[in-house]
Amino acid sequence: MDPHPDLTSSVLTGLGWYYLIMCVMNVLWTVRSYRVDGQVPKSVPWIGGIPVAAFWASFSALLMMVSVAYFTGTRSPETFPLRLPDSFKDSFDAVTANPVVFFALSVVGFVAMILLRRIWIKDTVAWLLLNGALLFMGLSMTDWDFRQIVGKPDNVPIVGMLFILGFLTWIYFRRAVDNDDRIAAGQPLYEQEDNEKVLVWPDLVYTELICMVLLTALLIFWGIALKAPLEEPASSVKTPNPSKAPWYFLGLQEMLVYFDPWLAGVVMPMIILGGLMAIPYIDFNRAGNGYYCFRDRAFAVSTFLFGFLPLWVAMIVLGTFLRGPNWNFFGIYELWDVHKVESANNVNLSEYFWEWPLFRSIYGGIPRGGDVGTILIRESPGIVAMIAYFALLPPILGLTILRRFMARMGVIRFMVFSNLILWMAILPIKMLLRWTVSLKYIVGIPEWFFNI
Amino acid sequence: MPPFLSEARLPHDAIPAPVIAFRTAHAAVLPIPFSRASAAFSCLFRIDTSGDRNQMGDKLSTEEILAAIRGGSSPAPDSAASETENQDTAPAEDENPAADEKADASASESSADDQADAPKPAAKPAPTGTAGILDAIRSGGAGSGASAAGGAKQDKPSSAPASGSASAAPKSTADILAAVRGGAGGAKSAASKPAKKKSAETPAVDSEAVRGLSAAEIIRAARQGQPPEVAEKKPVPLPSRPLKPKLVVRSADEMDLPTSRRGFVSRFFAWITTPVVLAWTAFTATATIASLATARFMMPNVLVEPPTKFKIGPPSDYPPGTVSTKWKAQFGVWIVNNEIDGQQIIYALSTVCTHLGCTPNWLEGEQKFKCPCHGSGFYKSGINFEGPAPRPLERMGIRLAPDGMLEVDKSVKFQQELGQWENPASYVPVV
Repeated sequence: MDPHPDLTSSVLTGLGWYYLIMCVMNVLWTVRSYRVDGQVPKSVPWIGGIPVAAFWASFSALLMMVSVAYFTGTRSPETFPLRLPDSFKDSFDAVTANPVVFFALSVVGFVAMILLRRIWIKDTVAWLLLNGALLFMGLSMTDWDFRQIVGKPDNVPIVGMLFILGFLTWIYFRRAVDNDDRIAAGQPLYEQEDNEKVLVWPDLVYTELICMVLLTALLIFWGIALKAPLEEPASSVKTPNPSKAPWYFLGLQEMLVYFDPWLAGVVMPMIILGGLMAIPYIDFNRAGNGYYCFRDRAFAVSTFLFGFLPLWVAMIVLGTFLRGPNWNFFGIYELWDVHKVESANNVNLSEYFWEWPLFRSIYGGIPRGGDVGTILIRESPGIVAMIAYFALLPPILGLTILRRFMARMGVIRFMVFSNLILWMAILPIKMLLRWTVSLKYIVGIPEWFFNI
Repeated sequence: MPPFLSEARLPHDAIPAPVIAFRTAHAAVLPIPFSRASAAFSCLFRIDTSGDRNQMGDKLSTEEILAAIRGGSSPAPDSAASETENQDTAPAEDENPAADEKADASASESSADDQADAPKPAAKPAPTGTAGILDAIRSGGAGSGASAAGGAKQDKPSSAPASGSASAAPKSTADILAAVRGGAGGAKSAASKPAKKKSAETPAVDSEAVRGLSAAEIIRAARQGQPPEVAEKKPVPLPSRPLKPKLVVRSADEMDLPTSRRGFVSRFFAWITTPVVLAWTAFTATATIASLATARFMMPNVLVEPPTKFKIGPPSDYPPGTVSTKWKAQFGVWIVNNEIDGQQIIYALSTVCTHLGCTPNWLEGEQKFKCPCHGSGFYKSGINFEGPAPRPLERMGIRLAPDGMLEVDKSVKFQQELGQWENPASYVPVV
């Protein structure tokens, strides 16, 4: 008997319900499509003239059949055919079980989200995306390892968060593109034309009351259905493997992989908080007050979303689903093997610099010694690099590509702004350096607990 | 002298009763120097009541304004500021005092008729909402104030303070409040008084009409555009306002302080026995004792901790090339027998990761210590080589005790980056 069965009877039953719910959702969508979507244009060969709703109806029927198949296959889960093929899992893991690929994909997705916003805000496209995500989830649930990670009570809110986040982002872009079009056409804004102002009492209070009741019911149900994952008593000499922060801090924990504790755990969170608070004082763009828009605030929105989606949410996903024992990187269908070997040998910038053949032949290797002068000379490449990064780069940027910003903001405001941007950029930069050249620290002075 | 003071006139040059009681009590029970000292202190904080009440109270509070509107006989400042430009342009129409009994809106119309630039709110339909009422007040000026001006003018145009607010429609809430303070304050005495008393200082006011009404009734009346129906117009006597003692600091020679040493001691004693000093002294003492008691916890009688020095058996228990994890759970050390720089030595490594303090695991297959929190990796020697750990694991002190046992001393640590691993106390050579 396989200790890690991909399919069990209870999993099959659960997936039967899962596809049944998807079927109901798509039946409702079919009704909506029949009323709204109309027919495929006559010019299209073969299928011209057929109502679009027909495709959704057949998709719903397919889901219904899948659901019935799962319900009826519970007697022999070992031989049940509807499962994710191993070849797909292996190839998927081979490509994605790599922080570089994951981060690159998240950035590509982020750029695509902004560039293709006119496409994916459409109702049908968004519904297709939702169906795709749900199908991916449902099929992946037939894998034991995936189920262990996603089904863990700790991680359920993260799965929910991903869907909620996608929905809210979709709403934003939908409203923003709508208003962009209105501005371009000289029409009144959506917020002005479709004024949804209602009375606090009863409209708002009633809504809040209903939300309160529903959320309380949901939380009670959740608290009963999913047990809190308690572990053994804490011990100062035994750390769970892997040891994960609360899910909302997993982005922070991922930052700690690349930085010194005081930097990633103290300085950078404070810069994040201070920077968020500073946004209203830095922002000089008067457009976009009180209405959704993208084109009026393209820079602000893109910067914020980059910091939020790839640098925070994607890090949470990475830390939750893709980090396993010994904080190694695992694919989503990969067994969490404690003995998985990931060879890494991280090197400080100073070692790279002084051991470079040219400098080695001149200076004879890295300076050794514990006195202040030697340490500073040893770490001078990193110190110079950091000074250049934080002190020279802002004025250079302000005089070249960000000249317009500097003119609008004034020098001091621009310096604050550019330093915040540079702090935000240092995380992906350090990640890339770690992945590409195994760089441990740019400035590494363990003698003084000062490492960047 | 504003009229309200005539109602509740203060005794001039009166020493307040508490001060008198204080002095007499001390004089009765205390020796002379002490009573002198107390007199000196009462001189220091002499309560002065002889000042004109009006100097302190010429600005009215909201409650007083409300009381003025309701009761009509409210205190009012002798608002010189309000005796302004309106004296020349003040209306001189022949309205009988009965006109003053009209509602605010109509009264303000009568006064506003003479203002070329003033709008006529009463000509409009009655305001329907709070905003409308506010608009009406804004455009018509403070109604009662304006009517008060009108009522005053016809009797005593020369001396009656006309409401400043009647001259121009106030624009903001602050203006309205100022108007109410000035005008309704000017409306301090009853509007019917010009008819009844014709007192020189008493300006007429229309707030007679609204006297005794609640705010809701006034607003309702204003909505209907009709004068509020007043059941009875009995003036409600204002309660006399509480005294506000005035602090007067006298100069030193004025206080005539005693200068002898005996006087100083007795004065100090008098000061130290005041309640506030006693209270603060007691509080400080209590807090100090509590802090000391808390600090005592820093030196417990019994320390439930593993000893920092412990024997771990003879060196033969640790064969060459091995990492022993048997003391990890109890003492938090790994005992390693390893060859370093050509020398076979035994050393004790701390099980605390140098990155963020988690406990790494020894992976025999990979021959490394690996931290589960952020993936830091250390060689068998303790040197960091992967992950974010900035420095090697720390060595604990170790020695060969006279009885042939190895003894680990956790109270000392040796850091490689500081060159302390050269210290012979950080390892035991294997012979």
